[in-house]
Amino acid sequence: MGIIHVEVCAGTHCTMMGAMNILDAIHSLEELQHQMENPCDIRVEAVPCMNLCREQVHGPFVRVEGELISHAESESVMAAIMARCQCRNA
Amino acid sequence: MRGLFTPITKIRRQVFTEVAKYAFERDLENSDFNYFYESSYRIIPGEVATYRDSVFKERAIIRERIRLALGLPLRTTTSHQPFTQGMDECATSEKKLDMPLVNVIPFACEACPTDRVQVSDNCRKCLAHPCTTVCPVNAVSIGKHAAIIDQDKCIKCGRCVEACPYQAILRFGRPCAQACGAKAIDSDDLGRAKINQDKCVSCGLCIVACPFAAIADKSEIFQLITAIRTGQKVFAAIAPSFVGQFGPLATPGKIVSGIKALGITRVIEVGWGADVGSLHEAEEFLRDVPDAKPFLGTSCCTSWALFARQTQPGLSHCIAQTHTPMVASAQKIKQEHPDAKVVFIGPCVAKKLEALDDEVRPYVDYVITFEELMGLFSARQIELSDLPETDLETQASRDGRTYAVAGGVAQAVVNVIKATDPGRDVPVTKADTLHECRKMLALAKAGKLNGHLLEGMACPGGCVGGPGTMSQIPRASSAVKAFAQASPYQTAGDNTLEALAP
Repeated sequence: MGIIHVEVCAGTHCTMMGAMNILDAIHSLEELQHQMENPCDIRVEAVPCMNLCREQVHGPFVRVEGELISHAESESVMAAIMARCQCRNA
Repeated sequence: MRGLFTPITKIRRQVFTEVAKYAFERDLENSDFNYFYESSYRIIPGEVATYRDSVFKERAIIRERIRLALGLPLRTTTSHQPFTQGMDECATSEKKLDMPLVNVIPFACEACPTDRVQVSDNCRKCLAHPCTTVCPVNAVSIGKHAAIIDQDKCIKCGRCVEACPYQAILRFGRPCAQACGAKAIDSDDLGRAKINQDKCVSCGLCIVACPFAAIADKSEIFQLITAIRTGQKVFAAIAPSFVGQFGPLATPGKIVSGIKALGITRVIEVGWGADVGSLHEAEEFLRDVPDAKPFLGTSCCTSWALFARQTQPGLSHCIAQTHTPMVASAQKIKQEHPDAKVVFIGPCVAKKLEALDDEVRPYVDYVITFEELMGLFSARQIELSDLPETDLETQASRDGRTYAVAGGVAQAVVNVIKATDPGRDVPVTKADTLHECRKMLALAKAGKLNGHLLEGMACPGGCVGGPGTMSQIPRASSAVKAFAQASPYQTAGDNTLEALAP
C-alpha cells in the first residue's frame, strides 16, 4: 500500500483560515478507502507555522508529499491526495 | 455552516481580525475610523464580485458586520446614516453592548421561502405519478414536462415527497428558522428573515445555519482591547470548551500564554465556577426534589434556562437558581480583585445576553467568543505553538471541565449527590438543541419526568457545539475529555476551591 505524507500548517493564521477543517477533510478520506481502486495510507501531520505567510498572506499552507499548496482549501487538498492515491499505484 | 470552513467563516474571521488590529494599533486620543471603511476594501478587493452580485453590496455587508463587531447597531438603508456614526462613543473600555445581540442584515438576506414543497428536474413525468394520487388537496398536476405543485393549494403534508420513486420532490425551509429551536424567526414585509426579539434566546444557531452570511451577533472585542491598552487589569475567565479550539498544536497551556501575550493579566478556568455550581445544584436537588419541585433543570446554559422559563412559565421554579459557572467565576475574581475587569471567553453568544442582566453586569465586563479571540491572536500575530506552557490559575475538577460536553453537567451534579447520599436514585434526562429541549419540557410538564434531573443544552453536543467555536464537535469533545482526565480532582466535591493568588 502506498504511503502519502501530508503536512498541514497549524500556525495561527492557517488555523484561523481553516487548517482544522482541512485536517478533518483529510481524515474523512479514510471513509472513502473502500471506493478507491488502490487504497493509500495517508499520514497526516499538523506542523508549526511554516513562516510562509509573512511575505505572502496566502494561507492555509499544506504540503502533499513535499509539494506546497498555498491558499489551501478542503477541496484542493483532498483532490491532490486522491490524485496521488491513484497515480502512485497505477 | 456547521463543521465546514466556508467563505462565510473566512469573512467573519477577517472582520474580527480587522477590528482587533485597529483596536490594538489606533491612536487612543485621535482615532480615524475611516480605517474600517478601508477594511471593507481589504476584505473585498478588486472590482469583480466573488460572493454576491456586486462588490458594492459585498462591501456594504462587510461594513455592517464591522459595525456589529464594534458593538454598534445596524444602520437603516432607507435614510442616510454615516458609516462611522457612533464609533467615537464605542471606542471606550466601558460596556457598550446592547440589544438586539443577534441581527439579520436585511439586505444580505436571500428571503428564502419559509416552507415549500417543490418539484425538481429529477421528475421524469412517470406514468404512475403517485404524487397526484396521494395529494389530499389536489395541488399536484402533471404539466408538459414535469409535475407541478400549486403553491396556493399545497398544505405541506409531504405525502408527494414520500411517494415519488425518483426523490424528485423536495421539501425545504429556511435554514435559519430550522436551526431556531425557539421559533423566533419571522419575516419582514419583503419576506426576509426577521428575529422576534421576544422569543429569541440568543443561542446563535441561526448565525451558524445561514448559508448567505446574513446573520451576525455584536461583539465586545473593541472595548476589551481598549481596556487592555489603557492599562487596566483584565482577568480572563475561560470556558471549559476552550481546549482544542485553536488548532492541534495549541495546548491548553499555550492558549493561556497566548491570552497573556495579548496583555490580559490573569487567566482563570470557568470550570472552577462549574464546580461551585455542581455543589449548589446537588444541594438544591437533595433539598427540593420531589417535595418543593417535581424535578430540577440545570441552569448553566443561559439559552436553555431562558427558553424553559419563557415557554413553560409555570415550571420556572424548577430550573435551578444557581449562578452560572461564568458568574460564579467572575464573582470570585471581583471579590478578591475588585479593581479587575473580567472578560469571559467562551463558545457562546447567549453569555453576551446573560452579561447584560442587571445582576450579572457588575461581575462580567465583556464576553467574547473563541472565534473572536482567534481574531485577536491573528491581529497581534501571536504564534501559539511558539509560546511556553502556562498553567491556569485555578484548577477545575474533571467533572467541572466536562461541563463543556452534553451530559457532563448532569453527571457532575449526580456525582456530588451520590457522594452526599449514596442511596439516592437520580434519574437523568438530557436534551441538546432547543428543539429537543422543547420535547423534554413537554414531557416534564406532563409529569413524566418527576424526580428527574434535567440537563438542557441549546447547542448540539453541548458547549463544544457553540456558535463561537472553531473545532468540529467530535474533535473538541475528545480534547475536552482528555483535559478533564488530567485534573487533580475528580468531582466538584473534591475541589478545594482555594482563593486566587494576590
